[in-house]
Amino acid sequence: MKESDVIKIIGNALKLENIELNEDSSVDNIDEWDSLGHLGVLVALDKAFDGKIASIKEIATADSVGKILQVLKANSFL
Amino acid sequence: MKVAIKAIEYYLPTCVENGKSLKADNPDWRIGDIEEKTGIKNRYIAEENETAVDMAEHAARKLLSSEIKPDDVDFVILVTQSPDYALPTSACILQDRLKLKTSCLAFDVNLGCSGFVYGLAIASSLISAGLVKSGLLVCSDTYTKFIDKHDRTCRPLFSDGAAATLLTSSADDLIGPFELGSDGSGFDKLIVKSSGAHEMQNQTQEKKLYMEGSSVFMFTMDMVPKCVNGLLKKANKEIDDIDLFVFHQASKLVIDSIIRRLDLPENKVFTNYQNVGNTVSATIPIALCDILRDKGLKSGSQVMLVGFGVGYSWGGCIVQWGPEA
Repeated sequence: MKESDVIKIIGNALKLENIELNEDSSVDNIDEWDSLGHLGVLVALDKAFDGKIASIKEIATADSVGKILQVLKANSFL
Repeated sequence: MKVAIKAIEYYLPTCVENGKSLKADNPDWRIGDIEEKTGIKNRYIAEENETAVDMAEHAARKLLSSEIKPDDVDFVILVTQSPDYALPTSACILQDRLKLKTSCLAFDVNLGCSGFVYGLAIASSLISAGLVKSGLLVCSDTYTKFIDKHDRTCRPLFSDGAAATLLTSSADDLIGPFELGSDGSGFDKLIVKSSGAHEMQNQTQEKKLYMEGSSVFMFTMDMVPKCVNGLLKKANKEIDDIDLFVFHQASKLVIDSIIRRLDLPENKVFTNYQNVGNTVSATIPIALCDILRDKGLKSGSQVMLVGFGVGYSWGGCIVQWGPEA
């Protein structure tokens, strides 16, 4: 999976239509990315990686696109 | 184990909260979004002076009025994380309120959402060891007393309630095997920080429940499938051999995700979180009681129970529904 695919998954999970996400996009600057939105992001990523990311504790608190990509790379998912 | 669930009763407080109640206190909350994820429409709230023992007494009295005489109750195990006092044991207060004999064992179990399954394991072991013949496993919590009215993570989920389960010795092996576990590295993800010994040290913090929802959710996604598969292996069974799955009623998001991860047939997974909410350790026995009242269970049905959450702690077991129930 490519980084752009992950960004698309996050955007879809947050139901963003006219907002382009980048590495700096986070819970601090995207209104839809609140605590409930974050759970939606985690469900979407869990689906996309077939349940294999659930054991990575850091993914739960990765609250920006950059942090999510970093955690996925560090665990060889990207 | 040669133990049977003979009957279950439950009690819910009279005060019911719904989305309108949440909106009234929090006009900026998007209630539709919240209910879409939690699936929870109603939650029950204990009165200000109503305690876990009060609710436990209500639930237990229903069993004592119909299923068992007080003198035949050999034990009362109270699963609670909101005891009436830090000490003494709330189960002792319950023993006295119910006028149970003084030879009755009474003790609390401080566990949350895994507590019913742990309680079954403890009670079954006591019965199997011949120490007792029959008694009550009561799950009762008033988590809502710990929740700030503006806490969007906890308030839409948690509900107060109590369930009492009558367990007796049986001629057949009806309960087990069990798959139990703990991971205390997650202790601070669902916690009342200013409580217990830490209440004196953290006087600046309010005595409120804190939940790091995303971490608890990912723990669930990681551990529940492992627990279910471990239990199936221990029992030498497949998913198809289980007639009904009753998970801790955490929320729609959690149960839907468990169904997806384990590829379970939806019609084999019971839910009632919609109208009851998350009553912590009482969710599983309340669900079982609703199942028995609504459709019943055929004798011989294989039912898997799985509780998980605060601790972290988890427990699963298989119950073969017998003619006693």
